[in-house]
Amino acid sequence: MTSLQEYFHTDWAALTSNDWVGLVMTVVVFFLMIAIYVYALHPSNREKLEAQRFIPLDEDRLDTEGRK
Amino acid sequence: METTEKYHFDVVRWFSVAAVIYLVVGTLVGVLIASQLAWPVLNFDIPYLTFGRLRPLHTNAVIFAFGGCVLMATAFYSVQRTCGVKLWSNKLAWFTFWGWNLIIVSAVITLPLGLTSGKEYAELEWPIDIAIAVVWVAYTVNFVMTIANRKSSHIYVSNWFFLGMMIMITYLHVVNSLAIPVGMFKSYSIFSGVQDAMIQWWWGHNAVGFYLTAGFLGIMYYFVPKQANRPMFSYRLSVIHFWALTFGYVWLGAHHLQYTALPDWTGSLGAAISIAMIIPSWGGAINGMMTLSGAWDKLRTDYVLRFLIASLAFYAMSTFEGPIMSIKTVNALSHYTDWTVGHVHSGALGWVGMVAAGALYHMVMKLWNTEMYSSKLINTHFWLATVGTVIYIVALWISGIMQGLMWRDYDDFGTLTYTFAESVAAMHPYYAMRAVGGFLYMLGGVVMLYNVVMTIRQASTHPSTSAEPARA
Repeated sequence: MTSLQEYFHTDWAALTSNDWVGLVMTVVVFFLMIAIYVYALHPSNREKLEAQRFIPLDEDRLDTEGRK
Repeated sequence: METTEKYHFDVVRWFSVAAVIYLVVGTLVGVLIASQLAWPVLNFDIPYLTFGRLRPLHTNAVIFAFGGCVLMATAFYSVQRTCGVKLWSNKLAWFTFWGWNLIIVSAVITLPLGLTSGKEYAELEWPIDIAIAVVWVAYTVNFVMTIANRKSSHIYVSNWFFLGMMIMITYLHVVNSLAIPVGMFKSYSIFSGVQDAMIQWWWGHNAVGFYLTAGFLGIMYYFVPKQANRPMFSYRLSVIHFWALTFGYVWLGAHHLQYTALPDWTGSLGAAISIAMIIPSWGGAINGMMTLSGAWDKLRTDYVLRFLIASLAFYAMSTFEGPIMSIKTVNALSHYTDWTVGHVHSGALGWVGMVAAGALYHMVMKLWNTEMYSSKLINTHFWLATVGTVIYIVALWISGIMQGLMWRDYDDFGTLTYTFAESVAAMHPYYAMRAVGGFLYMLGGVVMLYNVVMTIRQASTHPSTSAEPARA
């Protein structure tokens, strides 16, 4: 066994229910983060997202136009 | 008055004034306890005034009384304006105001009496903990329902930050406060040993991460564009900032427990994620500062904007310093020393206190439909706060590093070079310097209180016609 294999060796059988819940949540959250980064940085979403910058400066229009 | 207003702003006015009063009271207690460390005679041999009892009163006053009122004022103010609707329930907002203030009064009575759960930043005993949960949930429900009733299709990013804070603080407070009461004012945590320590710092660091960071970032994302009258630099960056901060912050607590009975890997993991958190934190700080891109000249004349932008510089600085201190090698020197206290205050005085001051000045002008009584006094407050903060943190950098070095120094025979008492004596000039820094900061708060009171009096006697209407 290489030192790298030794370092990353995991005794899967020893994981408790709490460990598994934590592991699954961590992996799911990791992929959710990637999904959010892709969504926020995708060029096709740029205009749509950046348009929201004006909300604090645009309160009067928001008041009068009703639900956009 | 309420029925004639487009928004429910009366409760915001009360929260704003209460916040400024609590700023003075909280920092006054801070200056007293800082002075007690330098000159112990100031304990007066009166148990109710000793450092051990007043220290939690100081932290509760500045974090929950001042910080809480600022967060409630700004969240209730900005959610109405960004959603274009009144608060879902004005009665619930007033319940939140009186409930929160009752909790603060309870803290002022019980903490000097020595009634404490012994958990840092969660010292209040179980009946008050239950009251906090009820009032906090009322605040959250009102905020959520106001968003649900909004006129716009999009939920502005400041509301996301406020919402993240509300949800996480509910969860953190309830779990951390789980205890078995053995009397009206005594309880014991249901956690014990290293689990108790881990829960404590899971709460402790996330109180910083969500209450003092996410909540105040909500303030930044609304008030910096408003005060600068410019849209924020990048909305996409704010989205990434929010989610990275939300996903990342919850991991950090373990870095408070390096070199303890906590498994080694948890502290290392906490430190690794802490380092990673520099990226979203600096992204957010740059996003706020770059909002002024092309209009930096505004900082020369707009003292309120100065508060907001200077706060971001302190935010960037403390979110770099924190991760560095979490690294095990640095932590071996810094932990248990005054460096940690200095780090906390660079965030609290520089970031939280200054962004709050900027937001409060902005709101006071809008809510009372007038200019501030004296813009020179805003500038005076700014410099007192800035110089006070710098003196405070420099003093504790020096004393903290000196403490760490003295504690670990040993001679050729392996004997410690200094006794603990010698390290305490060496701290004296820096403790005095810290008290001076804190005093200057408190003086800035007094100037602000005077300015706000005079502004409100001026508004009631001579309503301004030149000020931008508050549209209230």
